[in-house]
Amino acid sequence: MQHNNAMLDRELKKGSAELLILSLLENEPRHGYDLSKLIETRSGGLLKFRVASLYPLLYRLEHRGWIQGRWVEKAGQRRRRYYKLTAAGAGVLASQRNTWRDFVEAINRITRVEHA
Amino acid sequence: MPDWGRSVNEEMQQHLDDRYDELRAAGASHEEAVRATRAELDLDEPAESRKGADVRERSTRPASAAAVAFGVGDVVGDLRYAVRGLGKNPLFATTVVATLALAIGATAAIFSVVNAIVLRPLPYPDADRLVVVWGNLPSIHLQDIVVSGAEYVDFRDRSRVFDAIGAYDPAAFNLTGQGEAERLNGVVVTGSLFPLVGARTAIGRVLQDADNQPGRARVAVLSHAVWQRRFGGDPGVVGRLVALEGQLTEIVGVLRPGTVFAFGENEPDVWMPIVIDAELLSDNNRGSRTYTVLARLKPGVTIAQAQEAMNHVADSLVRDYPSHYRGGFTTTVRNLKGDILSDTTAGLYLLLGAVSLVLAIACANIAGLLLVRAHARRKEIAIRAALGARRSRIGRQLLTESLVVSTIGGGVGLALAFWAVKALVALAPADIPRLHEVALDGRVVAFTAALSMLTGIVFGVAPALQASRADLTEALKEGSRTIAGGHRVRRALVVAEVALSLVVLIGAGLLINSFARLQDVAPGFDPSHLLTFRLAPSTAKYTFEKSEQLYADVFSQLASKPGVEAVAAIDALPFSGYGGDRSFFLEAKLNPPPSEKPDEQVRFVSAGYFSAMRIPLRVGREVTPRDTLRSPRVAVVNEALANKYWPHEDPIGKRVAFDRQEPAWYEVVGVAGNIRHRTLDAAEKPELYVPYSQPLFQGWTARPMFIVVRTSFQPTSAAGAVREVVASIDPDQPISSVRTMEDRIGESLGRRRFNTLLLSLFAALAVTLAAIGIYGIVAFAVAERTHEIGVRLALGARPRHVLAMIVADGMALVLAGTALGLAGAAAATRVMASQVFGISATDAATFAVVTIALALVGCCACLVPARRAIMLDPVTTLRAE
Repeated sequence: MQHNNAMLDRELKKGSAELLILSLLENEPRHGYDLSKLIETRSGGLLKFRVASLYPLLYRLEHRGWIQGRWVEKAGQRRRRYYKLTAAGAGVLASQRNTWRDFVEAINRITRVEHA
Repeated sequence: MPDWGRSVNEEMQQHLDDRYDELRAAGASHEEAVRATRAELDLDEPAESRKGADVRERSTRPASAAAVAFGVGDVVGDLRYAVRGLGKNPLFATTVVATLALAIGATAAIFSVVNAIVLRPLPYPDADRLVVVWGNLPSIHLQDIVVSGAEYVDFRDRSRVFDAIGAYDPAAFNLTGQGEAERLNGVVVTGSLFPLVGARTAIGRVLQDADNQPGRARVAVLSHAVWQRRFGGDPGVVGRLVALEGQLTEIVGVLRPGTVFAFGENEPDVWMPIVIDAELLSDNNRGSRTYTVLARLKPGVTIAQAQEAMNHVADSLVRDYPSHYRGGFTTTVRNLKGDILSDTTAGLYLLLGAVSLVLAIACANIAGLLLVRAHARRKEIAIRAALGARRSRIGRQLLTESLVVSTIGGGVGLALAFWAVKALVALAPADIPRLHEVALDGRVVAFTAALSMLTGIVFGVAPALQASRADLTEALKEGSRTIAGGHRVRRALVVAEVALSLVVLIGAGLLINSFARLQDVAPGFDPSHLLTFRLAPSTAKYTFEKSEQLYADVFSQLASKPGVEAVAAIDALPFSGYGGDRSFFLEAKLNPPPSEKPDEQVRFVSAGYFSAMRIPLRVGREVTPRDTLRSPRVAVVNEALANKYWPHEDPIGKRVAFDRQEPAWYEVVGVAGNIRHRTLDAAEKPELYVPYSQPLFQGWTARPMFIVVRTSFQPTSAAGAVREVVASIDPDQPISSVRTMEDRIGESLGRRRFNTLLLSLFAALAVTLAAIGIYGIVAFAVAERTHEIGVRLALGARPRHVLAMIVADGMALVLAGTALGLAGAAAATRVMASQVFGISATDAATFAVVTIALALVGCCACLVPARRAIMLDPVTTLRAE
């Protein structure tokens, strides 16, 4: 478990975290807690963001102009900061997705051969 | 992106609240929800766990139950976190603890020694009022000399500034008839001396003024140690008669253990009264000076006032006894402690100065390390601050960490100091006064520990708090790599460390250089294969003639032993601590003005002394067995004396006498080489050697002599034969001070060896600390510039050039430090003028060699991290960004 987490951490650092966030924002704006919940549930609990990593990451992505945050106030609720993908972000997402797919396919080709 | 910190803060608190609400909605208990929410933060520490509470306190919503639970911060948690944090970085923790421990240990140990010897009052009642009164004979340039019995009595009766006044004279007594004969260290005193030094008895009584009156029974007081050793602690010893110097003496008391009575080195074993009789006070004996005068000032009387009063007393003596004081007579009143310590303080203050510099270097080092650590943690701290942790909260956490390190360092340092004080006392030469009073001093330990902890707090917490105030954005930006202020401080610290260690190093270099030169000094005789001992025939048993026979028997029997090449004797052996001057007259100048009256070192020697010692004879012959009472009197002079009194004449055949009224002429028959008498670094003095068998005056008494035995084998193995021979001639005759000549010379170098050794240790410590400091700053700079270095390497920069760039950066600090250090050393080593020998305190060679050595060490400290930097793969380096 420890080992897994450490490995995942490294993967996240290498950029997959960015890919995850950008993907989740592709179709609709979401707030931070929503993002963290989605990552956790959709990965079956395997991927989990630390609070102290998630929000700085969101800040960085926003700083690069890939996403844009906006405070949204609704009656009876506290205000929340929703993030949406920018045009630049969409470009990055497309390119990262390609890279990722190439990477996964490469891995798969190798592992499949080994198991055949 | 203004005010991002507050914005992210709000997002995070919402996140946590959401999490808590969700968990509760799913049926979790309050505690479970809190725990799970805490886990969400996963910053691995209790400090952060408070964050939720802090956040909520400032939240617009009313505080929830979870917020209260988050408030359970605790000291234990802080401690656990601190220990865990240090454990994660063992190199840092070890370096800080070791630095602290060494600095605290060394400083506390040296300061304990200085405090016990120099600073603490002497262990006597009203010690600050105790003074010594010395005599001066200005016409013959004699200062701080002991006084005669008559002069002491005049001081006592004519002065009005003292509460009490006493006199003493170190002596030695042969104890016989109590098992093996033994020569006991003793002192003859006035009864008034006991209350002066607060000495009291375990049994019996101390000596009293009445015991100094003539015609009283011979009495003595024993030390506790000798009472235990020689009399088995028998309480019946009071009233018993024992043979001291062959005369029956009644023991009247035994002093309490721990009575400190030593005015010099050796604690006396026996106290006997000075007999103040008509003989002692007679005109004849007014010039026979042997007593040291100790007095206690009346309350409110200053040394200056006492000096003024004693000037009047001295003037009255010159008026009343004009024939005795033709050349004048004055006194010097001096504080007892200052007097005892006069030649000890310089060396100790030198060591204290050096160890203080080491402490300063250590503090600078710790400061530098903590600054680096604080810098490395600035991100963590900034996040915590952004998460809402109050600065006081972060401060407490960091304080805890600093205190944990300081406490461990202090504890190890204390143990080290405890051990070091014992080692110092064991290592220190025995002639350092008050050495037995040295113990680890609690106040010193407290002071040093407090200082080191303060360093830890100031440099560990202050920059961290600064970081907590810093712009989070900056701190979090991966690319950010400058906190300029901290950087400048760190570089300044390294420069200071290099400068300070250069001062210590140069000091040590000067002492080592001096010591080496001193060891090369030839004493003027051959000290190898010489066994020496002292034989003191008691005057009660031995007339002068009988003593001559005793010595002759000892010589002949020892000389017949196999392996013994030569045996001879002298009253004041070189490096024995003995010596004495005497005035005489030149035949050509019988009535010199007082200021030109010859007064030189006069020694009594047996036949064959010069050949036994291998002192070269320049001209003429030495003393032979044919020089007796019945043959013409002869003398041998050394070159220094010959050059002083007969600079352009042949000294052979010149005559001197010791009594002008009825001169008995001693004819110079030989000129011997000069020798070093007291220490290797003292100038060679003029010396006049007279045969023991040709005494100066009628009614001459037996004199104690040092016997020198030259052997063809290891000289210590002759000690048994020596005891055997003396015991076979006179079983009641003890011998003492059995030592080889080489040991005596070695002991004379003791203080110097001690100071040199310690200063070298401190220098090594200083250099190590400075090297750690340089390494630390360069390694840190390299880490900070990883990206830049990667880019340079990727763009094709030669590794050699990158290496040079990094080393040059580090060496700039080293060179700045050396420049400052050289200036500092030039100023600081001036105080070492009295400690160097054969070189000046600003010896260029020493300065150069030490500076180059330090620069090399600095260069190595730069090279290690620099090499690591150029080994980096540029791609990895860049990806790390």
